[in-house]
Amino acid sequence: MLKGILGALALASTALVPLTAVAQDYPSRPVTLIVPAPPGGGTDVFARQIAEAVEPILKQKVIVDNRAGGGGTVGTTMISAAKPDGYTLGFVWNSPLTTSPHSLTVAYTPDSYASVMSIGYSSYVLCTAPDFPAATGKELIDAVKAAPGKYTYGNDGLGGTMQLAAERIFTKVGAKVRPVPFGGAGETARNFLGGHVTFYGGSLPPILPHAAAGKAKCLLLTSAARNPALPQAAGLDDIGLGSEETVLWWGLIAPARTPPEVLAKLEKAFMEAASTPAFKATMEKQGATQRVLGAKDTGALIRKELAALGEVAKAIGIERKAQ
Amino acid sequence: MDSLGYLMDGFAVAFTARNLLLCFVGCLWGTAVGVLPGLGPLAGMALLLPLTFKLDPAGAVIMLAGIFNGAMYGGSTTSILMRIPGEAASVVTCIDGYEMAKRGRAGAALTLSAVGSFVGGTISIVGLMAVGPLLADAMLSVGPAAEFVLMLTALLVVSVVSSSPPVKTLAMIVLGLALGTVGMDQLTAWPRFTFGSLDLTDGLNFVALSIGLFGVSEILLNLDEATPAVPKAPRLREMLPTAQEIREAAPAVLRGSGVGFLFGLVPGVSHIISTFVSYAIEKKISKTPEKFGHGAVAGVAGPETANNATTGASMIPLLVLGIPAIPATAILLSALLIHGVQPGPLLMSEHPQVFWGLIASLYLGNAILVILNLPLVSIFVSLLRTPMGVLAPLVLVVCLIGVYSLKASPLDLAILVAAGVGGYLLRKFSYDVAPLLLAFVLGDRMELSFRRALTISDGDWWVFVQGPAARVFLVVLALIGGLQLAAMLLGWRRTGAAAP
Repeated sequence: MLKGILGALALASTALVPLTAVAQDYPSRPVTLIVPAPPGGGTDVFARQIAEAVEPILKQKVIVDNRAGGGGTVGTTMISAAKPDGYTLGFVWNSPLTTSPHSLTVAYTPDSYASVMSIGYSSYVLCTAPDFPAATGKELIDAVKAAPGKYTYGNDGLGGTMQLAAERIFTKVGAKVRPVPFGGAGETARNFLGGHVTFYGGSLPPILPHAAAGKAKCLLLTSAARNPALPQAAGLDDIGLGSEETVLWWGLIAPARTPPEVLAKLEKAFMEAASTPAFKATMEKQGATQRVLGAKDTGALIRKELAALGEVAKAIGIERKAQ
Repeated sequence: MDSLGYLMDGFAVAFTARNLLLCFVGCLWGTAVGVLPGLGPLAGMALLLPLTFKLDPAGAVIMLAGIFNGAMYGGSTTSILMRIPGEAASVVTCIDGYEMAKRGRAGAALTLSAVGSFVGGTISIVGLMAVGPLLADAMLSVGPAAEFVLMLTALLVVSVVSSSPPVKTLAMIVLGLALGTVGMDQLTAWPRFTFGSLDLTDGLNFVALSIGLFGVSEILLNLDEATPAVPKAPRLREMLPTAQEIREAAPAVLRGSGVGFLFGLVPGVSHIISTFVSYAIEKKISKTPEKFGHGAVAGVAGPETANNATTGASMIPLLVLGIPAIPATAILLSALLIHGVQPGPLLMSEHPQVFWGLIASLYLGNAILVILNLPLVSIFVSLLRTPMGVLAPLVLVVCLIGVYSLKASPLDLAILVAAGVGGYLLRKFSYDVAPLLLAFVLGDRMELSFRRALTISDGDWWVFVQGPAARVFLVVLALIGGLQLAAMLLGWRRTGAAAP
């Protein structure tokens, strides 16, 4: 009996030591990086590459743990609820943070997690068939405004980031284009190339080779800036809607009460890893643009985007369901 | 013949010692994940994807394509030996494959599937080379409306040949469609029957459902009986198919190749549809349809061939258009993009070593797999010598681990167990669970295509009989009609011959 109590005390005291030393020695053991997406997708690829790049800086192994499901909300819930000791982090894309909360009841808010940094973004693009009567982003907007409800655009799923990005522009200019949701950009591209929908709406990579082959005319990006891969496509700055930018971006989050010193260390290490020319090249190969932001800017981006997309969702009749 | 010259260059790429090794490793790993219940081609490829970051693009796709191919080969093993579908495309093989095993023909069934897979795989690669670009254009003309009609037809075809009475089949289809509605509705972003669970927004897990309905229910059924009719391990000389079995299998293999290749172009669910349709055709034109469900050779050889013929065809949209039609080819796309290789109309001219290297490695992989699989047959079959009391709990544990390894989701385990008990009850009352699974897979996509088509047409119902949709419908209808007619003619001939 006494032996048991002594044993328990001994255990408790050894358990206390790492707790006090956490911030100074961090990281003293491997760090788990939860990725709320399945292996093989864009987010997973970036997560694995940033993990590899940050290992020599943190001098610790970073283990990627894929927890897919519910459009990223399952994994993001796990990250928010994890022990805030800096050994469980999350590498996420923006959809579970700023899009899903408008259609699903999720157990986290921007207060449940600490945003650490973000690595960059990938724009969405609207493309038309080569014979569509518009040659610039401005003309595209004029054409859809002139014929409300006539055209259709394929997107990555209703209430998804891509659809909200497009609707954000359409509501702003007062146009109505009928959304046709598909399972992903590849499926959208197939249906667009087959002539089943008027516009392609989705990420750049699936449509780039067809734009190069003259089968698609890409006219408007959902990012403020233009993209060198599609020189003919206008950015939102070109049509005076730069503040309505919605893009796909990726970043690092941690459970909310992670010690500030640990967060600062992580921010510095991951920003360093993401800022190298090699990582820039990695992102460009996947059609993405490097834009490294720190904790403050990333946090502000999340809150602003969450509010803006909430308004769009409301405007087009998407509401969160009581479950 | 320009392409023959290129293909030779491709073989030069594939035959380097390193790429040969990568192809072999891919095939071996693919066979392993195919054999294990739960892990399928998708998980197998995704797990090794990070390794390919370090390889050159040709080596990366060669290894991943090897896994894809290998998993398609390996999937049939547990279907035949234990009635557990190793992956989705092997569901149909469970039906007659396991019955063959019960009659001591496990070796023959495994050998025939391996050889059929080889033939189907090879024919589909030849098809990919010969008519790939043409078929890619045809594929584009299949929009949501045509997709809906096609899937509806597939469902009808399969329900016609189910082994249980029509009312029971219909009940199973309705149940499958109902289960398929669980999850987030893509067209309204509305969660249906999820009871607030974020896990359920993706719907019920197909792998858990299929392993439960087929595998777990079989184990439970065996517990029922004092002396269960478990598969018998054949003696060594009974391993090879008999001349009669080869005669029955050969035409089924050829038909399966055609069916598999054509259905490989149906996006999303091509592997599972092609196997079901091949089974339906074999049963319909068989002279002995009553043997189906009781160990018909053609019911194993046809679908197993179709399954592998689909693999080659499913590469077409990826290589020619740069668009993955099924999740497994999406991983290949991802591997190529990491290396800055963009598949699509320009792949053949910009990266010929990747394109032709991949094609050559597909041929090579098929050869490696058939050589790898034939000796494995005797090893796998000897598993059946394990007493049922040891094997059954072991298999149950492997099923649980396999399903859990997919997403580490406890919910999937609950689905597995519930499906096992449900499947047991259904089969006790002699309901055929295969139509349920097909309806489950197709239901979700059918509904989406249906509503997408109506969104595009702005509510005009004529969209389903106009344009490409109508053409597809007519072709399929003519096919079914033709088969029905052929079956009738065969029937007459048989009764005519039987008459004195």
